[in-house]
Amino acid sequence: MDQFVQLILAGLATGAIYALAAIGFTLVWQTSQTINFAQGEFVMLPAILVLAAVKFLHAPLPVAVLMAVGGFLLLFGFGFKQYIVNPMARHGILPLAIATMALSILMKESAKDGFSAEAQQFPSLVPEGAIQLFGATLSLRDIAIFVVAVVAIVGLQLFVTRTKTGRMMQATAQNPTVARILGISTEKMILLTFLINAGLAILASFLISPVYLAKFSNGEVIGTAAFIAAIVGGFNQVRGALAGGFIVGLVDNLAAAYVSSAYRAAVPLVLLVLVILFKPEGLLGSKEERTV
Amino acid sequence: MNAHVNLPASGPVLKVDGLKKHFGGIKAVDGVSFEVFEGEILGIIGPNGCGKSTLFNCILGQLQPTEGAVTLDGEAITGLFPAELNRRGVSRTFQLLQVFPNLTVRENLILAGQEHQGSMLSRLLGPKDAGLTAEAEKMIGFFNLGHLADSKAGGLSYGQQKLLDAAMAFMAGPRLVLLDEPAGGVNLTMLASLKERLEAINKEQGATFVVIEHNMDFVMSLCSRVVVMAEGKVLAIGTPAEIRANPAVIEAYLGH
Repeated sequence: MDQFVQLILAGLATGAIYALAAIGFTLVWQTSQTINFAQGEFVMLPAILVLAAVKFLHAPLPVAVLMAVGGFLLLFGFGFKQYIVNPMARHGILPLAIATMALSILMKESAKDGFSAEAQQFPSLVPEGAIQLFGATLSLRDIAIFVVAVVAIVGLQLFVTRTKTGRMMQATAQNPTVARILGISTEKMILLTFLINAGLAILASFLISPVYLAKFSNGEVIGTAAFIAAIVGGFNQVRGALAGGFIVGLVDNLAAAYVSSAYRAAVPLVLLVLVILFKPEGLLGSKEERTV
Repeated sequence: MNAHVNLPASGPVLKVDGLKKHFGGIKAVDGVSFEVFEGEILGIIGPNGCGKSTLFNCILGQLQPTEGAVTLDGEAITGLFPAELNRRGVSRTFQLLQVFPNLTVRENLILAGQEHQGSMLSRLLGPKDAGLTAEAEKMIGFFNLGHLADSKAGGLSYGQQKLLDAAMAFMAGPRLVLLDEPAGGVNLTMLASLKERLEAINKEQGATFVVIEHNMDFVMSLCSRVVVMAEGKVLAIGTPAEIRANPAVIEAYLGH
């Protein structure tokens, strides 16, 4: 029983990180029909940038964090939209998707060659430790990851549903033509979703890297998990991505313990296949219709 | 309020002068001129493909006219972008529904009305309704959408979405509203209530309407004057009674 509780908490913690990545994924899809196959690398890179700033520029850690955050928002929030999505979107969804695959390879290989091929320690914001609850040993780090991610997601959800800008973002996603007629600057709204996506990736990166170490290949696992989470939950709903993230995180952890750790990565894929077969719009998604 | 329709005291609200829109060799709109006066409800009718919707799109800046001029209160608005026209008090409804499906009825209305006000900062930090909740409630009451205010717009029936679409067009307190087939696909009960609501809001807000419509009874009973189009040109302009009696119109509609 206590092992089960521990597994659930660990699952929720990883799930929260998947959810952060999956939510960014669905946001950019909704406003700009961009399927970002580099989403995993987006989560991998910010931590590497921090370590690189410390190593090469000898920056103190807080400065390095600020530099990494600023640089990443500029390059992979603004720059990604301006210099990859905008020029490629003219050619259609598929060329754009392939361009993001190329970007993911570029980011991964650059991190490997430019920084290190080895997994690196990443400083944790939360001290090591554990608390006892219901006879289970719960890691403080897992709890902190879960809390921070949930606060960020709730905050984002409140922003999207409760503010004027948030509603303008939704309008841009649901009906760009009319949104433009109403005088909403849809370009700015789309840019905002890309910045939010980059921000969520940074947060996910800083939360997960202390646990799994910062490594150039981290994006593979996270990217796949986020992609599965988004599809399982429903691609066109933020709450779908949220639920999908937690489901994949839980399934992942429970499968590792109770099924086989060798097949842990396969179990979410089975879930993915089942969802696509029986509820292709996702568990919480709505059917999507597009007019041309 | 609109008793002076036939004897306008001031200049026209909207003036369309020699408007042409050619697509290659096809003359979709071919020299259309008419004026719309303060508080008037002007109907535009004509067979399918006569250029009504193209005319609307040219007036509203969604298409650039090949030739001709459009003025609003004496100011040239030819070729201005839709958002700019919206800022100047020109709003529209759509032939095909264009609501925001995953927002509630109330949110759709607030969104339709909010864009005029507010800086970037107030948008970021301001209250969610931008003070428009009251206005939205008024429209909800006015168009009898009260029981649906918190429903997602995408889940409404077609007729209800048409009402919402119309309500959205009035949120910003427009000077001129262009309605593209407001009655299309709306059942008879809803139609009566739509017509009655449009008449009431025309009186109350003093807005000027231009209505494209296929439903003859609807147009003839709603509009003070009617423009008949055929093959991109104006065939006749007159009161509903004059139009009904016009032989050229009868021929265009009923054939030989």
